[in-house]
Amino acid sequence: MHDVAMIAVESQSAPPPKLPPRRGRGRVTLDIRQTISPWKQAGILGGSLAIGLAISVVILDFAGIAPLDLAKELAGVFNADSLRSVLVRAAPLILVGLGAGLAFRIGFWNLGLEGQMVFGGIFATAVSIYDIGPESTRIVLMGVAASAGGILWVLLAYWMKVRFRVNEIISTLLMNYIASYFLLHLLYGAWQDSKTAFPQSSQYRPFERLSDIGSGVNSALLVALAVAAVAAWAVHLSRAGFYMRFISANANMAKVVGVPVRTISLIVIAASGAAAGLAGFVNVSSQEGRLTQSFFDGYVFSGILIAFLSRNDPIIVVIVGFLLAVLFVTGQTLQVFYQIPFTMVQLVEAIIVIAVASSEFLIRHRIRWTR
Amino acid sequence: MQDFFINWLANVPGTAAPYAFAALGLIISERSGVLNLTAEGLMLVGAVAGVGTCLTIGNHPLVALVVAMLAASIVSLLFAGLVVILRVNQVIAGLSVVFFCQGLTGLIGTLANWQNHPIAGLNKIAIWPLSEIPAIGRILFVQDPIVYFAIPIFFAVSIFLRGSMLGLKLRAVGENPAAADAAGLSVSLYRIGAIVVGSSLLGLAGGYISVVSVKLWITGMVGGRGWIAVALVVFARWAPWPALAGALLFGCIEGVVPRIAAAGIRAPQYLVLMTPYLATLAVMIWVGARNRGHQGEPGALGQPHVREERR
Repeated sequence: MHDVAMIAVESQSAPPPKLPPRRGRGRVTLDIRQTISPWKQAGILGGSLAIGLAISVVILDFAGIAPLDLAKELAGVFNADSLRSVLVRAAPLILVGLGAGLAFRIGFWNLGLEGQMVFGGIFATAVSIYDIGPESTRIVLMGVAASAGGILWVLLAYWMKVRFRVNEIISTLLMNYIASYFLLHLLYGAWQDSKTAFPQSSQYRPFERLSDIGSGVNSALLVALAVAAVAAWAVHLSRAGFYMRFISANANMAKVVGVPVRTISLIVIAASGAAAGLAGFVNVSSQEGRLTQSFFDGYVFSGILIAFLSRNDPIIVVIVGFLLAVLFVTGQTLQVFYQIPFTMVQLVEAIIVIAVASSEFLIRHRIRWTR
Repeated sequence: MQDFFINWLANVPGTAAPYAFAALGLIISERSGVLNLTAEGLMLVGAVAGVGTCLTIGNHPLVALVVAMLAASIVSLLFAGLVVILRVNQVIAGLSVVFFCQGLTGLIGTLANWQNHPIAGLNKIAIWPLSEIPAIGRILFVQDPIVYFAIPIFFAVSIFLRGSMLGLKLRAVGENPAAADAAGLSVSLYRIGAIVVGSSLLGLAGGYISVVSVKLWITGMVGGRGWIAVALVVFARWAPWPALAGALLFGCIEGVVPRIAAAGIRAPQYLVLMTPYLATLAVMIWVGARNRGHQGEPGALGQPHVREERR
């Protein structure tokens, strides 16, 4: 029965018209990759990182640093003296990286890391200036005060977000400017060092400074590693870490099934601010030993970079923090010996983030040419 | 007291103009559905390009402003490529471009030795005889030509967005890219176009600050105005005329800061300098408290469009 009908139709219809030749050269289509082998993923990531670094080297070449000199400076970072400054630098970088990573984990764009560092520094210095607490526990108290300062400044932004739906990207960035002007108000006013008349606070006393322990390792680094360990436990092992993943995947769903979204968010964001505040204290106490006008410069984007490259994983944050510290110390050397402005570090950071962010597109999609 | 107000208000168009141009540029690109956080960086690019032009080819402020617009547009191609072609997270891409520009302009300004070299810039013109009207004359009719130029630009963009076919298509891409794609519009092309055109206005805003207002390049001289412009767009609900009103408001706030010291009022200097940022936060809170946070926001703001990805 079927066959007969088919034959009938075929015999009636005219032969199919010849299709006109295709015009154009085809177009690009994107396939969403369902899986990708880890080797390929690492290859794409490594390739784009290499491109980013190559672009940075070319820019530096234009700025007057031959690639060979650059290699020499980079190698020079690994002598004992420079290695010490790398380790000192790494501490605040790891802490801001942790602060950024924690907040990004639940989808809160904490871009106020610099402001939180400033308030961390101010609170800690207030403990020093007003001589609060006995000398033996002074440094602990300063650390606690610094964390409180950071928490205060970040929770203001969180409160504005929850209460008035103020976008935290804008509010935290603006609060950086407010914090830095408040710092200047103190440094040009009540807290100005009476001995030097420079806009900086007076020198911390020895028991208020994070000192070296043994072979050139500063205790600042221990503080950072301890915080990283706690963060790693919270993120990977504790129930809160599971809740955080749930919230970032789907906050509404999490709320519906009974995850305490508000409480977890509050705690995580406060922890983010505390880490940044502590970074401010650690930076001030281990390096200059006094509040300066610009001790926090460039840490917002460094925090974003560390969190982004480490995918908000506290353990990888430590590694990326070290690498970035190498970049910072190299940048300082180039500033001193080649008169390259320190903003160069920011430029290289931005190029690295752009390169890695672009690579994610190639990891997620396959590009094909269809005709 | 009257002098204080006239001096202050005569300053306002000059302080408001960068906000107005920047907000307008952001509105054009965000109406296509791209969350644009690059303002701070592209304004720096415009500022350094403007001063650099004046120091290189002599004092031709109008040429300098055109170069500023072109420079910002060219750098914005980087942002466009990242968010439109590579579909990078728009917040990460925007921030990266800002810090890229901060680094780049700092480097260029220092290497080319453009830092702290004053230029003659663009002077104010008096529209005689209107400029002789007491009080009003000095406020409205003794300004630089770019301020007057802002008014036709606002008319043009407003008509473009609301009344033209191209503007309608642009908004369609921003509201619902999938539907616009199905209707045969090239989402990528519209978005790239909107970013590049909008960014030229960001460049103009930056060039205005360095060539017309300050007449000098200082590293990081935009000083957060770009972020304030981003907030201004939310406040204006992505519409040109409210953005102009907001720009005037912020112009008033910024304009009063130097007047306070000049009038001999003793106030803590650095706390006074906070006011533009505090005012921005206050405005954002006001917007939120009136419970219209998302009104007027382009439907697809911040979302990349991949045709092959079914949502």
